[in-house]
Amino acid sequence: MKDFLRQNGILLLVIALLLSILIGALSYAMGGEADILSNAVTTVASPIRNGVAAAADWLEGVYRYVFHYKELEEELTDLRAQVRELEEKVRQGEEASRENEQLRELLGLKERRRGFELETAKVTARSTSNWESILTLSKGTNDGIEAGDCVITETGVLVGVVMEVGVNWSTVSTVINTETEIGGIVTRTYSAGVLEGDFSLMNQGRLKLNYLPEGAQLVSGDEVLTSGRGEMFPSGLKVGQVEGVFTDPSGQIRYAVIVPSVTLDSLIEVFVIKDFDITE
Amino acid sequence: MTRRDFFHKWFVYTLGLLPIWVLDAYILPRYPLMGVSPVLLPLAAAAVAVLEGAYAGTGFGLAVGLLWELAYPGGFGGLVLYLAVAGMAMGAVSQYALSQSFPGCLICSAGVLGGLDLLRVGRGLLTNAAGLSDLLQVAVPEFLWSMAWTPLVWLLFRAIYNRVGGTRLA
Repeated sequence: MKDFLRQNGILLLVIALLLSILIGALSYAMGGEADILSNAVTTVASPIRNGVAAAADWLEGVYRYVFHYKELEEELTDLRAQVRELEEKVRQGEEASRENEQLRELLGLKERRRGFELETAKVTARSTSNWESILTLSKGTNDGIEAGDCVITETGVLVGVVMEVGVNWSTVSTVINTETEIGGIVTRTYSAGVLEGDFSLMNQGRLKLNYLPEGAQLVSGDEVLTSGRGEMFPSGLKVGQVEGVFTDPSGQIRYAVIVPSVTLDSLIEVFVIKDFDITE
Repeated sequence: MTRRDFFHKWFVYTLGLLPIWVLDAYILPRYPLMGVSPVLLPLAAAAVAVLEGAYAGTGFGLAVGLLWELAYPGGFGGLVLYLAVAGMAMGAVSQYALSQSFPGCLICSAGVLGGLDLLRVGRGLLTNAAGLSDLLQVAVPEFLWSMAWTPLVWLLFRAIYNRVGGTRLA
């Protein structure tokens, strides 16, 4: 310890304290945008992050090809069947859409619209902590991404919400993260609640639909979508399915446990909703 | 030790930290074991503190804390101070009570990781994020799985120490 004091060890501790305060103050002041120090370090680290992600994705692809070829073949057969089914549905949908348009014109109703301005992004890093569920994406402010933007999969399933943005990267708080709070609705009963991450459920890959109305009769398998209340997030994004309904220990609040439809561990590419325009 | 030797020594230590960081931040989180990813950065801080003593342990802890805060999402600053203090404490403990050996590193790593997990559990309880059992369900596996990586981290930094550590000239 004498050496420590002789070598100005206290000065190092003071520097550490000042740096802690500086980083804390900067991150508090910047809100959703990354502070200048984090932005610089994370931007410099981007090539490493992207390179590791690309190499790992490639190796996983090779591994699946070599060791799970039969499963891939079966998946391909299933997907071909699904494509045939969907093509048929699209044909029917187009017909229904034309009819719908004509009827709206006849009745003078305003057209329902769902317009999303999307930006594709790669998932370059997964949660680096066991205490939260966060993804890092390959796009940031350079591509017009902002904190609070929703992130979805190619099938429109909600992945999470952008929480911090840097120049060429952004971090997403996933639907199961404890900081998540989005309006949700059960499609079968129109019961609205608040989708919230819960610490104990996060480790099981689940989330809560909290503050359910008293009379809500939910059953396992009910589909849950975003409600769009508050107009912060678009409505109608698929979140998951009800697993069960419970009452909190106080006996006052009913909540449903939701199994998210997104598989967070295998996400490679996602879409960030930069802007949306929904007319119901 | 000349200024040049000093910079060379800490450059090599920084190079040693690089693979640990890449593993910790970008590779191991992709392949969690039963949902748990190990935390390697505190092990690196502890290993260098054990090998180099309190003063160098403080400096290296500070640098590792900075890396953790700035290159990982959701930094709030506290880890810089925590790892600097932990580096100082572990360096002093290894100098005066333990030895520059693997068992010493194992005990110091347990101290740094345990302290960190205790702080996180305490924060979770204070903010009412979850009950104690839920928090411990994350903290205990994280602690155990991270500790399993201590030999690898120790071997890496021990090899660096043997080459450029202490007052050896590069």
